[in-house]
Amino acid sequence: MQKQYRLLYDENLCIGCQACSIACRVENSVPDEVYRVQVHMQTMGIFPNLGMHYERLSCVMCENPPCVSVCPTNASFQSKDGLVHIDEKSCISCKYCILACPYHARFINPLKNVVEKCTFCYETRVSKELSPACVSICPTDALTFGDMRQSNSLVYQKSHKEVLLFPKAHLGTKPKVAFIPNRKGAKS
Amino acid sequence: MAYFQARRDFLKLATTGASATVVIPGSLGALGDVALRGEDKFIRSICEMCSSRCPMEARVVNGKTVLIQGNAFAKEMGTSLCAKGVAGASQLYDSQRLVKPLIRTGKRGENKWREASWDEALSLISTKLSALKERYGARSVIFSAKTGEQYDLLRSFASAFGSPNFENSTYILNFGHNLFEGLDIPLTKAMAHFSADPSKKLVVFDPRFSVMASKANEWHPIKAGSDLAFVLALLHVWIRDGKFDKKFIEQYTLGFDKLVESVKETTPQWQQSLTGIDAKVVERIAAEIYTSAPRCIIDWGHKATTTKAEFQRTRAILMANILMGNVEKEGGIYFAKTAERINALADERVAPELNDPYPRPRVNEPRIDGAGEEGMYRFVSRSHGVLQAIPDAILAQKPYEIKGWFLTRHNPLVTVAHPQKMKEAMEQLEFIVVNDVYLSDTAMMADVVLPEATYLERDEGISKSAFKTPTYMMRNRIVAPMHHTKSLIEVMRDLAERMGFGSHYAWKSIAELRAFQAKGDAELLQTLLMRGVASFDVPPLLALQPSSVERFCERYPKSSVLRDTQGVFSHFLRSLKTPSKKIEIFSAEVEKTFKGYGVPRSVDMDVTQGHPYVLTSGKSAVHTNGHTQNIPYLNMLLSTNPIWMHPSTAKAHGLKMGDTFYLQNAISKEKATVFITEGIRPDTLFAYMGFGRDAPQLKRTHGKGTNPSKLLSLESATLCGAMITNVGVTIVKA
Repeated sequence: MQKQYRLLYDENLCIGCQACSIACRVENSVPDEVYRVQVHMQTMGIFPNLGMHYERLSCVMCENPPCVSVCPTNASFQSKDGLVHIDEKSCISCKYCILACPYHARFINPLKNVVEKCTFCYETRVSKELSPACVSICPTDALTFGDMRQSNSLVYQKSHKEVLLFPKAHLGTKPKVAFIPNRKGAKS
Repeated sequence: MAYFQARRDFLKLATTGASATVVIPGSLGALGDVALRGEDKFIRSICEMCSSRCPMEARVVNGKTVLIQGNAFAKEMGTSLCAKGVAGASQLYDSQRLVKPLIRTGKRGENKWREASWDEALSLISTKLSALKERYGARSVIFSAKTGEQYDLLRSFASAFGSPNFENSTYILNFGHNLFEGLDIPLTKAMAHFSADPSKKLVVFDPRFSVMASKANEWHPIKAGSDLAFVLALLHVWIRDGKFDKKFIEQYTLGFDKLVESVKETTPQWQQSLTGIDAKVVERIAAEIYTSAPRCIIDWGHKATTTKAEFQRTRAILMANILMGNVEKEGGIYFAKTAERINALADERVAPELNDPYPRPRVNEPRIDGAGEEGMYRFVSRSHGVLQAIPDAILAQKPYEIKGWFLTRHNPLVTVAHPQKMKEAMEQLEFIVVNDVYLSDTAMMADVVLPEATYLERDEGISKSAFKTPTYMMRNRIVAPMHHTKSLIEVMRDLAERMGFGSHYAWKSIAELRAFQAKGDAELLQTLLMRGVASFDVPPLLALQPSSVERFCERYPKSSVLRDTQGVFSHFLRSLKTPSKKIEIFSAEVEKTFKGYGVPRSVDMDVTQGHPYVLTSGKSAVHTNGHTQNIPYLNMLLSTNPIWMHPSTAKAHGLKMGDTFYLQNAISKEKATVFITEGIRPDTLFAYMGFGRDAPQLKRTHGKGTNPSKLLSLESATLCGAMITNVGVTIVKA
């Protein structure tokens, strides 16, 4: 049975606390000074009319992934569930995929010298019916993960209730990560 | 190249590269690779990365990593945890962590050490402490732990009156209680859902555009320390218009007439020049809150709100809640429901009560910090104390001679006001012991440093955590202690034996301690071992909410006799710990010792002391006030603290982003760098706490950033002794 995974990021609930980033580091043994996920915050506007821009940066698991088509060794590939993965053994760290990724989500793991990125914690968690580490740890329930084919799932219900934005949708990459935009404060 | 390498300064603060590996004597790094001994199954315990103490669970994977998440047996937690909590593993096997006792070989503070065995260290401590006792009396040695800090003090003051019930509220007024950067998972989560709900209203007062402010419907950049003026103006408007819960005031309070008198002049116009907030805003907010009452919360102030009038501000906020009649009502504030309270109300044993495991002979010595004594800090709880009072007590040797200090895992040389003076006082002592995970700034001043087992390596007794229902928690060991670290309980119990008073304790081991506390209740112990938390099937009780009282009486029929004609437990609010047993709007006891403090009024709000700027300080979500800055995973996220400054202020002083300058006042002159942002009042500056460390053994933090405590005065808030964390400064060009 194929899955149609989706990760929802609600900017209204996110407080930029970086618990997701640390949970990811511990779960996936991400080396020091590189990140698979971060949340950036930026103050917008002129005092006292301000707003805070919250942006989650990670792999968005494109349905049409540019990183896969440029890979010369098929190390970057898409699974039957539509998730994008990297086969470490085939990766020759040519960095084509790093350049091709419009979301800047890939980097070289300095310890292994192979390309690395978010996997949705597929091997250690999602394949065992658990949520990715970032979703599970989030102190404010800002992340929701699940299968869009199941209409009783929280991710399905929230997706149908809220306004969704898909990052860089105009590129036609069809991300599996969607954002619920911030409703408060100055935007620019 | 790699995006995240280039943009890892996500908090918009410059960070420097990873520090080189340097081996520290007595540290884990000196021992090489170490495997973790623990099981690959979840063990439930209590976090200790900060003072919030959230329930968590952890498991060891491949003997290498400890995965930590929230303990979902605590319903309000789920699997959530903050960055600090998840980074517990990074502290556990930090190469800079201490694992062997150290004994000083150089001069005090010179940072020269030799490694020692536990036996040698403990026998030295017991000999020295016994000698001090012989020569100067037992009272000549101070024992202090983390609970002495201002946060707990403030919290204890507020929680004595009630916790906020965010979920069912519709309107919250928040004075600098920054739950989105000083996290306490259950409260933070409830607040996040509140602020994201379009049907609710959150109004935040803070001189800085905090994360909390960014989630508010309205942010008012109030002048630092003037929150009391705003609250007094609210009280004025409600009383002027007769818009408050008159029945509640009549039934449950005393001294309302004195409040009417004291807020007569505190008009919305009056507060304008003090707070910088328009009078019309006060009028509008007063009307909005009254409309949503009693489902409204005027939340306790915190940190950014401290002044000498801390006691007055907290009491004024309490009065605002009382006027709205939101006490013990759905969506308002409530008293913690301990097992003792619930059992008394139900008139049956609903939840088990615990034995107190620590012998506490009633000592008839005056306390050096004066907590609980007649005089300055008459109203400070004895279990909290006033750390800022210690240096003067040591230097003056009053009220009696102080010769020794035993500190456990707290770092007053970073987190308490005027550490320069604290250091001077420590130099006068004959013997200092510090029990800590790191060779901190404070540990550097010790004669003996004991390497403490981190919370992941410790079994401990049962702790209480009552909210709407009674709850118990227990810290269970996740991994075997690395090398030879020990817990404080083991150390103290061992010292008691060596010093000849071991017989005062009813227990020898942690297992015995737990059994003694639980009064042999095997079911309770079993639950706490398996689940880490024990809650009881008690319907949440709000004593003045008829529906809630009805549910409670149905379950516990004997409690019905306590129900009054209106169907509520009104006696609950008439059996308080005040002299009259009612809520005292005017306290004769306070007025007697501190004239003018018996009822909230406009006093002591100025924090500028004649300087053009106020320096405020606070937490970021990734660090505590002083403990986590050197922990690798967290240091990577935020490793220094440039001072927040408004562009117009920076321009006036000719400063550009990253420039160096000095902060100066009568206490000190401290070097700093500037971070320019629209997110702060032009007359205010802000620093994250915990940086500007002197300890060279904290390799990642040494010499980075500014320690704002070094500019703070030792003068505490009147009555409650809270540390005043806002201070006047002048900007001096470097």
